[in-house]
Amino acid sequence: MDDTTTLRARDFWSALVLLALSLFFLWRTSFIPLFGANRAGVSGADWYNSAAIVPFGIFGALLVLSLVLLTISIRSGGARYALTAAGIGWNGAEAWRFGTLALILFFYIAGLVPRVDFILSSGLLITALIFGYHGGHPRRMILATGAVGLPGLYAMAMHLPQSEWKAHDDDIVTLAAWLLLTLWALAFHHTDRVVRVIPWIAVLAPLILVCAMAFGFRQNVPNRGGLIFSQIEYHYYVTLRPLWRR
Amino acid sequence: MDFLFTQLSGFAGAFAGLVADPLTYLYLIGSVFLGITFGALPGLTATLAVTILTGFFGNKIPLDYSLIALLGAYVGAIYGGSYPSILLNIPGTAASAATAMDGYPLAKAGRGGEALGLTTTASFIGTLIGTLALLIFVWVLLLISQNIASPEKALLALFGILLSGTLMSEDLVIKGWIAGLIGLAMAMVGLDPLLSEPRYTFGWSYMMSGFQVVPVLMGAFAIPQIIDGMRHADPGQLLALKGRIVPSLSALRRYLPTIGRSGVIGTGVGALPGVGADVAGWVSYGVGKTVSTEGHKFGKGSLDGLLSSETANNACIGGALIPLLVLGIPGSPPAAALMGAFKINNVIPGPTIDPEIILRVVAILVLASFTMFLMGLFTARIFIRILRIPKTVFLPVVMVLTTLGSFSVGGGINDLYLMLGVGFVAYFMHLLRYPIAPLVIGVILGGLFDETFRRSLLISDGDLSVFVSRPGATILLALNIALILAQIPAIKRQFSRLRRKTA
Repeated sequence: MDDTTTLRARDFWSALVLLALSLFFLWRTSFIPLFGANRAGVSGADWYNSAAIVPFGIFGALLVLSLVLLTISIRSGGARYALTAAGIGWNGAEAWRFGTLALILFFYIAGLVPRVDFILSSGLLITALIFGYHGGHPRRMILATGAVGLPGLYAMAMHLPQSEWKAHDDDIVTLAAWLLLTLWALAFHHTDRVVRVIPWIAVLAPLILVCAMAFGFRQNVPNRGGLIFSQIEYHYYVTLRPLWRR
Repeated sequence: MDFLFTQLSGFAGAFAGLVADPLTYLYLIGSVFLGITFGALPGLTATLAVTILTGFFGNKIPLDYSLIALLGAYVGAIYGGSYPSILLNIPGTAASAATAMDGYPLAKAGRGGEALGLTTTASFIGTLIGTLALLIFVWVLLLISQNIASPEKALLALFGILLSGTLMSEDLVIKGWIAGLIGLAMAMVGLDPLLSEPRYTFGWSYMMSGFQVVPVLMGAFAIPQIIDGMRHADPGQLLALKGRIVPSLSALRRYLPTIGRSGVIGTGVGALPGVGADVAGWVSYGVGKTVSTEGHKFGKGSLDGLLSSETANNACIGGALIPLLVLGIPGSPPAAALMGAFKINNVIPGPTIDPEIILRVVAILVLASFTMFLMGLFTARIFIRILRIPKTVFLPVVMVLTTLGSFSVGGGINDLYLMLGVGFVAYFMHLLRYPIAPLVIGVILGGLFDETFRRSLLISDGDLSVFVSRPGATILLALNIALILAQIPAIKRQFSRLRRKTA
């Protein structure tokens, strides 16, 4: 099957999704007053000043374009191939690679970054991504996903609400996962030059970036009270800074 | 003549101010180096370089240094894309796709050094041509743009989105328009600009302020690149760089007409709202193939072909800044990222922009192009070594940098959730061959479109003739309609039939 047929089969699905989305948002737009309304006793505006007018135009246009895309797709045989492997898109290996990667990114952003020290979570992420995806070995990908997923899940399960984000037990779990993954990588794959470089990149990159951001550019960084960064920050202000302030 | 003299003296003042500050060099050298590195590493783009630096520097350093860093990275990254194009046959950035057609055969024939040296010089001259155009035309257009009212602004914003959708689509044009509409729809989230009516917030207070530009930029441009880069292993064999890099004067003289022509084309294409350096490179390559005496050699290792695309993509930088600074409409995806940087620094590009900022932008571009030229000629071998780093090693670090940048500008975890969500959506759009740039341009211009469109109707009491009663608005409306009609198959067929008849 050629590329265009494959693409049209996928267009069939994307047109359906866009169609559903535009209909949903047209319905939601109908909640916004269009022909004037009373707000806190003040008479609302006319149709031409309504906050709904532009969204109606946008979602109306999206509806029309998704219908056009659907028509193009059906005419080019997209509907016929929509349920075949080509229409759905990936083979098993590709789906596996994307799926594990998506899980790692999800657990990093949603689980670790808000709750765990940024240097620890980023060090773990870098180790997992380089070890897991360099060379494309499926077993390494699973191991990498587990290494990020488990501390991510632990952090989310034990400290879901924002009021509990400052707890440090998930920092310890993340540090343990990072150390175990690094030791595993070095023990079983030490002949690989890239694997030998991983610990250096995983420690230095987040450390330098966070310190440059926080102390050089005075930007906000995630989780200032984290296990490692809180110590760096304390010693920067209490031990180091007075040296050049004197 | 007086006008040109005033411009040049203003530029000289800004230039002297920057040159006298030692910190300028620090930011300049660092950012151009980073830019070339980003351009040279396949999988990282100029847009990503500017986006990440926007997040990294945010609004915590003075605007001048921020601009030096961003523009330095922009200039460096567009040029840096030529390294993998020539030595690996993989375009480092989309802007260098045409470069690979001739660059790789030249390197295979042992002329890599000559190709790289001429590319460096052509990129330098191209950037200067674009910058000169920026210095001259921005003022003329600024004078005109001061007479632009809400109807023209609304139609211009729409034109920018439609044009970028039309020209950036690899597949069907309507996919570009759909991407633009999705961006516009995203811009509708939050309180509306005139009545403060909440729209699509679903009761989430974070949504009240709408989608922030930096997380959207990071999500749309960085996450798909990272996922795509990690999913596909490194292909390609790096060729050894043979021959002298510093070009000879005779070779330079021979290709000067090509460089001049491509510089003008690149600037012109760049000045079109929403169209990037990749389009500029291909258009110039196409024109070069038609007018060059060695057009038949294009694609087989022609220096003329190589310089056509490489000059144009760098000249596009100055061109892309014209609509950004004059109208507040980004001329290219990296310019869209630059607009994000302006916004977080409370600078509103457009007719009301401080003229001093424009002069400083011009001075920075000149300095950045000089830095790029010197680095390209004398430290090229360092960048070639960087090319050996596998994607799987540097992309995880980019992910950390992206996360840190997105968090720092917004200062909240919600921005990271937004970044990840937009990133996954953008990745699937990229897989389905929807262009991402129109989406981002839609997000950036959506607020302007909504506000100016409704303000026009408010002033005219709902009379739609406001969009045809002013000459500027009429022209822009006609352009918008023509752009849409030109893509309808039946009309396309009629046009080609008419063309055949007249021929």
